[in-house]
Amino acid sequence: MRIASSVTGESALVKYLLIGLALIWLAGFLLLPLIVVFVEALRQGVGAYLTALVHDDALAAMRLTLLVSAIAVPANLVFGLVASWSIAKFRFRGRNFLITIIDIPFSVSPVISGLVFVLLFGAQGVFGAFLVSQKIQIIFAVPGIVLATIFVTFPFVARQLIPLMQAQGIDEEEAALSLGASGFRTFCLVTLPNIKWALFYGVLLCNARAMGEFGAVSVVSGHIRGLTNTMPLHVEILYNEYNFVAAFATASLLALLALVTLGLKTLLERRGGRDVKI
Amino acid sequence: MSKSEPVAIGVSNLSHTFGDFPALNNVSLDVRPGELLALLGPSGSGKTTLLRAIAGLARPDSGVISFQGADAEGLSLRDRRVGFVFQQYALFRHMTVADNIGFGLRVRPRRRRPTRAAIASRVAELLALVQLDGLGSRFPDQLSGGQRQRVALARALAIEPQVLLLDEPFGALDAKVRKELRQWLRGLHKETGLTTIFVTHDQEEAMELADRVVIMREGRVEQVGTPAEIYDAPATPFVCDFLGHAFRFSVAVQGGSARVLGADVATKLADGPALAYVRSHDVAVAPVEANGVAARLLALRGSGASLALEFALPGLSAPVEVLCPRVNVAGEDFVVGADYVLTARAAHIFPAP
Repeated sequence: MRIASSVTGESALVKYLLIGLALIWLAGFLLLPLIVVFVEALRQGVGAYLTALVHDDALAAMRLTLLVSAIAVPANLVFGLVASWSIAKFRFRGRNFLITIIDIPFSVSPVISGLVFVLLFGAQGVFGAFLVSQKIQIIFAVPGIVLATIFVTFPFVARQLIPLMQAQGIDEEEAALSLGASGFRTFCLVTLPNIKWALFYGVLLCNARAMGEFGAVSVVSGHIRGLTNTMPLHVEILYNEYNFVAAFATASLLALLALVTLGLKTLLERRGGRDVKI
Repeated sequence: MSKSEPVAIGVSNLSHTFGDFPALNNVSLDVRPGELLALLGPSGSGKTTLLRAIAGLARPDSGVISFQGADAEGLSLRDRRVGFVFQQYALFRHMTVADNIGFGLRVRPRRRRPTRAAIASRVAELLALVQLDGLGSRFPDQLSGGQRQRVALARALAIEPQVLLLDEPFGALDAKVRKELRQWLRGLHKETGLTTIFVTHDQEEAMELADRVVIMREGRVEQVGTPAEIYDAPATPFVCDFLGHAFRFSVAVQGGSARVLGADVATKLADGPALAYVRSHDVAVAPVEANGVAARLLALRGSGASLALEFALPGLSAPVEVLCPRVNVAGEDFVVGADYVLTARAAHIFPAP
């Protein structure tokens, strides 16, 4: 008599069939597109690939993407810390409301998020007249792109921290204070070390999204080459102009970012899993 | 307590509410220097809230707490010099045992901070005091519950506190470790002479360990006294019932005494209806020929050194549990379903409500 391969009793055939299906699915939908990006980017050789990458407009798009995430990520790091600290460590009216609204960017289409900023800060928008009179341009300029990116990426850090901080409670902070530590030292010596891996993880995801955001940024950017084009927008423009090598070359950088993020994420989960007990 | 006795911590008219729930209701208490005081009560009685208020972890709505006679109102958590041992220990999980213990010294302002070497030697001293020599480089999750408890204690002692506060210090430990730690804590208290307050819901723990016990109920202090005082002379029916299982009879007082379960018990109460509380082990069981109240044995359970006998008494709806030491009944055969005679050896009589 054969012994079933597991306690649940599936036969070996079912097991391999399920695993095989999962692998084929992953390969078809995730791996294949990734490979295509690199193959297309290198279709006309490394020379053409590098030429496309050092084009002025491409470099400008990279610079803008880096600038935007350099502002949006730290901003959401601070916001995420403050919000999750308040939610996890205090009891106050509107706490549940705050938890809900943090998730709005996850549930709203990015295009709508972008549109909201146009309606607020565009020439015909709520603050339009005032902004025009002050000669401040937000929409179709870098500030609009930064605002839209901050909006879209703000749940990432907070979402990582809230459950962890709630699980850890405030005992250790109280202990530190009762041992004579100041509030600031308590934060640096006790709170921060306890959440550092979750914080890194949140920042990583936040950064990946900030650099890759298309929808919201597309609405507010105005697509001015060399000025308000981020990398994802630049890819689209090149593609629409049938400049496939350049489009995929830029896209390959974004794909690379995704791979690095994935690698770091795996590393962090391994470290975090050991250090942070939830 | 007379006014002339010195007071380490004074609590007067303290009240605190959580929402609509009165956690502390006009509590006053004097803690004597060097004593080991237990705050004892069922959960929700306000004992932990009182401890946290003394530590400065909770800000009471009204009332005054003073240290050595000085109002502590303006003193922050940091300035009270209170060693607080948390129920779940609250050790810093990412620091070694040694770093945990040295924390309070390392975070001092630069002027008062000991040198690195001085901190290290103080930590070594404390590790020896709590019998954890050699475990300084471990992390909290590599220790047993009892060891964690002692690290928490050493960490609190490191700041040379003027008072040590422990919240349910043995709550999370198993029975054997609990007992050992209890004796060890008693010894440590003797050694350090530190004014110590601990919270517990375990009456045995409070009675065994404390110099004085404060019994709390629903945010109020029911009684304060030495373990013997509160056990022998409970001030209220609640205290009587809480310290050892007791059952209650309605009795009539006449001429300074009341007849309780076949015995005449003296009382200072005036004539009239009253309530008598008899503890489970204050009942004598005799064969049916003796004087007393007849009762039928319903069940019999052996538990360690004592036997629990369950009797049905006429006029009482719930069965009455009587505890006798096993040695006293050896050789006697109790027969479930047979009749015996019960007599109260002692009873506490309170006015009828």
